[in-house]
Amino acid sequence: MSTPQYTELQLDALRELANIGSGTASTALSTMLARAVDISVPNAKALPFAEAVEAAGPPEEDITGIVLGITGDMNGTVLLLVPPADADAMCRMLGVEPDDEFALSALGEIGNIVGTSYINALAAMTGMAIEPTPPATATDMLGAIVETVLAGHAHAGDIALVLDSDLTVEGEDCSISFLLVPDQGGVDELLARLGLS
Amino acid sequence: MGASETMVRMGELAVSAAAGHVLVSLGLGSCIGLALVDRRMGIAGLAHVVLPGSGGHGAENPRKFADHAVPELVRELEAAGARRIRLEAVLVGGASMFAVSTASLEVGQRNEAAVREQLRALRIPVMAAATGGKRGRTIKVDVASAAVTVREAGGSTETLLGGNRVCEVAA
Repeated sequence: MSTPQYTELQLDALRELANIGSGTASTALSTMLARAVDISVPNAKALPFAEAVEAAGPPEEDITGIVLGITGDMNGTVLLLVPPADADAMCRMLGVEPDDEFALSALGEIGNIVGTSYINALAAMTGMAIEPTPPATATDMLGAIVETVLAGHAHAGDIALVLDSDLTVEGEDCSISFLLVPDQGGVDELLARLGLS
Repeated sequence: MGASETMVRMGELAVSAAAGHVLVSLGLGSCIGLALVDRRMGIAGLAHVVLPGSGGHGAENPRKFADHAVPELVRELEAAGARRIRLEAVLVGGASMFAVSTASLEVGQRNEAAVREQLRALRIPVMAAATGGKRGRTIKVDVASAAVTVREAGGSTETLLGGNRVCEVAA
């Protein structure tokens, strides 16, 4: 079995990065939905892939996933996970009925704005040139969505670094959880920029 | 049923000869759940394959790659008393979860192709498959009966390999 190879200090720094990133993302979501948005204290976890999938929640639970790629100085993926009922609620806040043909693109747009603001905050903090790729959306088993994203980063290592935090829309009982999964080289680049490699 | 379930997670594989034992991979996306059964001996194995080939990468866990996982699963089945000539394969997974996205997410199709290639080289017939498409799937392998079932997201359970069916199917 492989063991996580990051120090507590490194994980703390990555957590702080995630905190600022999700703070920026929550402001974007708040502006978009015209409602107050709370953020949780982020987690930074370095886990073997199998455990990273389990940590995301019950594998067969239905979830809506919005995925954005990150390219440039750091490669990785931002994954937003929204329970289907919460996705419906957010569509309604944007004035789109959940069964409307535009619901999926409305969700993609939420993902785009929230994910992009997170990525831009990362870029600003670290001085990296990184860009998001257009969002893709799927509603399916949680495990299937998370493992597919992790599989894209599984080639070089056996450990996934997952930075996650929750955005909750106040008074609506509606939340998005937010995962940043950099690939192996991406983590090294992040830590180098923070002076912690 | 009181059956004990063994979870086979990303990059893992398991072999069992215990009656009442069920091997399970929950929520397969682009990964492949490969079930191999020797129904005469009541031995079954399940591998949860993540990527097609190691391409020379010295990963700590080579079992996530099809080119390591498939021969390794066969070795462990043989060690448990199965005969390679009687092994039958069922493939589940290999979906493209995100319809519009980067090439890396086409990994599902490449996983299926790589697993099939390994099986061909080992002369193990693929009896059934639930692969491709856009939906996540769960595979369950009942060791004693060699029954293999699949459930798609939002769907019902479907039997891919009948437990008590006499095997007369050509490859």
